[in-house]
Amino acid sequence: MSGFRSGRILILGVFALLVLGGFAVGNPTILSADNVSSMAVFAVELGIIAFGQGLVIEGGDGAIDLSVGAISGLAQILTALFITHGLPWPVGIGIGILSGAAMGGCNAAAIARFRIPPIIATLGTMFAFTGLALIASEGNTIDLTAAPARFLAAGQGSVLGVPFQILCVYLPLLGVLVLVQHRSRFGRALYLAGTNATAAWLAGIHVKRLRAATYVLSGALSGLAGVIAAARLGTATPDGVPEANLISIAIVVLGGASIFGGDGSPVGTAIATIAIAVVNYGLNYNDFNPTLQAGMMGLILVLVVLVENLVRGHLPRLIAAARNRRKMA
Amino acid sequence: MKSSALNLGPAAPALHGPRRVPVAWRALLARRETALLGVIVLVVTAVSLGAHGGFWTRVNLDGLMVTCAITAVPAAGMTLVILTGGIDASIGSMLGLVSAIGGLLFVAGWPVAAVVPVFLLAGAALGWINGLIILCGRVPPIVCTLGTLSIFRMGVFLMMGSEWITALPPGLTRFFVADHLGPLPGAAVIALVIMAALAAFLRVHRTGRRLFAIGNNEEAARLVGIPVRRLRWMTYTILGACVGLGALMRLGQSPIVQTTTGSGFELGVIAAVVLGGTELSGGRGGMFGTFLGTLVVGLVGDAIVLMHIQPFWSGVVLGSIILASVGLNEGRRARQVVS
Repeated sequence: MSGFRSGRILILGVFALLVLGGFAVGNPTILSADNVSSMAVFAVELGIIAFGQGLVIEGGDGAIDLSVGAISGLAQILTALFITHGLPWPVGIGIGILSGAAMGGCNAAAIARFRIPPIIATLGTMFAFTGLALIASEGNTIDLTAAPARFLAAGQGSVLGVPFQILCVYLPLLGVLVLVQHRSRFGRALYLAGTNATAAWLAGIHVKRLRAATYVLSGALSGLAGVIAAARLGTATPDGVPEANLISIAIVVLGGASIFGGDGSPVGTAIATIAIAVVNYGLNYNDFNPTLQAGMMGLILVLVVLVENLVRGHLPRLIAAARNRRKMA
Repeated sequence: MKSSALNLGPAAPALHGPRRVPVAWRALLARRETALLGVIVLVVTAVSLGAHGGFWTRVNLDGLMVTCAITAVPAAGMTLVILTGGIDASIGSMLGLVSAIGGLLFVAGWPVAAVVPVFLLAGAALGWINGLIILCGRVPPIVCTLGTLSIFRMGVFLMMGSEWITALPPGLTRFFVADHLGPLPGAAVIALVIMAALAAFLRVHRTGRRLFAIGNNEEAARLVGIPVRRLRWMTYTILGACVGLGALMRLGQSPIVQTTTGSGFELGVIAAVVLGGTELSGGRGGMFGTFLGTLVVGLVGDAIVLMHIQPFWSGVVLGSIILASVGLNEGRRARQVVS
């Protein structure tokens, strides 16, 4: 099954609307243009990271990237350091994305070359990248409010009344990823590798190289998200995008991907991003503590997988059993 | 006849490496435990030279042993979980939640003798919940426990708010840290006893052997009649109880409970188990490796403090050690398979 499940997308859309409606009843100002726009720009960073996480998880064999948050942090810090030391801002942005890709390359090498299980490899690099971000920033946040306006526009500007990063980064990225996943050799091969690695290998697909590529892409996207977050907030923090690991996995799973690989689609991920962003922003807007927000994310993640497993696995079996019993009687 | 049967042909030397080194030695050198002992000797030497005598003091050694014990008890439980192919990333928040529950009971004036079992039972209950979601709900362990990591933390926050609990009985500190059996503080003695007991359980008890079988091939284990689901569930519950005990020890070391208590704790524990050579794919590993892994994790942290290195480096060092040790082992095994 390749990804695009209209049923799931409908459910998510209704879910997002219901949640938003609930928040709006409690506090109508959340529907003002300003708030909707800041909800959307907040969603962009999570959504970009979730795209990368989606690619990794799709590769199958328990692949997962726990270092996305750490990568976004280190990339953010590197970008900020280069810009505050007077390098032109495009170089800074390039550094952010390329360093993200390089960090993803470390993951890829550890997993594909040295055969370290993905959880351990990305846990180890998570330690390492977070530590390096703290070392590079000496544990402080880096102020970017004095950075070139052009750079800050990447997170604060708007084009045709729409925030810059939605119109010029997120939507094009979504388009490219949809094409890649559903129309390109790479995307189709990745589905096959995630569904049945042996079959893919027998069909002449270089499964390892494919999976390695997903980590590099995930790293580059996390770097990009880190740069956008830094530009939006005008500061770079060694933490990067907070709770990125948990939230990106929640988004991918919510978007209809199987955690075992070979399933999922960028459109599903995008819709799930909206749903998660509405929940997160709504909680934030109503002054819920970050710990509670993360707790709700965890609850959503576990419940979604749980319900899905019950619906897919147990319920059909129960129904079949009931039918059998009726036949016997 | 016999000699020709043993003659493996021209490939034999390559298979066994240079003839001079006996195979038994090579096997010993290739073991994870040997590498870890090397790392321990290296770190101890470095810190002895670099810390200006700060390492070999009573205070530092006691602190180090208690810190290691607090990691070691949950790591022992985590070894069982990872051996059967699972993982539990939620134990940091679990430790926080258990500490909050126990701490509030202490504040409410419950006697110590009544609260101590609550720590163990609350931990076991939280582990049981993880097992329920993973085994009955068929949620992959990493997904479930990443979720419960934040859910348990939310629980801590709901119970504690931004309050601190410091009104904890001094008996905990006396028992776990101040009282000694020979050179060992109480916490270290308990940790050693638990590790030894679980090591024996893994080696000789039928259920312990079955855990290896499950980790090696879950389907085969099921087919020969091993109650796979029940035993895997049991490992999560045991881990929970171990975390409860770890929480109690931690309150002996630093008698304070706050919302952030235990955050990040899971990383050190998982690092210790993985460093010790227990494989995430299950079926390989053991308690002695975990013991050494715990020592390495504790020593690295201690060395960074004593040598006045920026604390930010601890993550980098630990991450690199994990990647290097697991990577070298896996790489070597891959080469063996190829040749």
